[in-house]
Amino acid sequence: MDSDWDEEVTSDLHAGEAEWTKMSSEFTNTGYREGITAGKEAALQEGFDAGFAQVGVPIGHELGLLRGIASVLAAFLSSATDQGQEEARSISSALSSIRFSDIAPRDLEAEEHAREHLEDGAPELEEIDEKKKMEDLEDMLNRLSAGKSLRADEARPTLEDLQHLRERLKNLMERLGLDVERS
Amino acid sequence: MDFDLESLVHLEQTFYDFGYQDGLEHGRIHGLIEGRALGREKGFEMWEELGFYEGFAKTWRAIYVKQGKEDSRAGNHIRHLLDLISQFPKQNPSSSDSSSSLDISRLLRQIRSRYKALCSTLGAAASLRAADSADDSVEQPATRKPFVWPLEAPTQQDLSF
Repeated sequence: MDSDWDEEVTSDLHAGEAEWTKMSSEFTNTGYREGITAGKEAALQEGFDAGFAQVGVPIGHELGLLRGIASVLAAFLSSATDQGQEEARSISSALSSIRFSDIAPRDLEAEEHAREHLEDGAPELEEIDEKKKMEDLEDMLNRLSAGKSLRADEARPTLEDLQHLRERLKNLMERLGLDVERS
Repeated sequence: MDFDLESLVHLEQTFYDFGYQDGLEHGRIHGLIEGRALGREKGFEMWEELGFYEGFAKTWRAIYVKQGKEDSRAGNHIRHLLDLISQFPKQNPSSSDSSSSLDISRLLRQIRSRYKALCSTLGAAASLRAADSADDSVEQPATRKPFVWPLEAPTQQDLSF
């Protein structure tokens, strides 16, 4: 009958199509993998330089300056037995507990891209997660050694806290009659 | 039918190239994201330390001015320290000028030792930070490159210092 012949043709056609698909996706995937690696390597330095100059340096500089000022005031005032001593110490210790991750702006592009991956079902940005985990662990140990109860909701300092500390430091310096920037 | 045999022969290459282009774009996004995360951390780490020294020096300077004290040795250290810090780049030098003669690790060593000299002149027990970073600066250059900011070999291991 005709039908036998027909079937053979269709199955041949299917086999050919499957092979075609397999071949095309194999080469496309290989290209994709190698392209990803090349693209990533080519862009790393550019990203590094941008993050360095636009985010890391200005924030680090600002926080470092405040810490330097506060630590001198704390030391200087304790030797001068001034009433500002307590304030200087409190500012200094609050400043020293601030981490970069507390005050760093979000990388919106990275978050957006991670979301896209989540929709695809592939987790991303493990490195950042690692660091976050380490910091959480550190927090936990600090609370333990401080004898405080283990409370996960104990808040990390925020950008507002930093601004508040900056104000307090400014007030303290004005009270002491110190002009740090221009003398 | 116009059948291009040539293109059929290069079909594998065409598929590969197609995938490669796609991957290249996606990889670039990841490279930028990962690079930014590393660069932020490094820039913060370096300038937090330098900012501390700067704030430290400027505050002592203000205290001396306020007290009308003329301590020439401390004043000298403060001037030098602030001058050195002002020379420190706020951009990764690898991006602006690769032939730059600026020796970053040398400059950082000079800054740290000037800071320690200032501390001992002031009689302030060089703060914890001085002790910390002193160990870092003196011991480490021998074992690992002090600054990997020019990311020349961007493999995972090299980047995550």
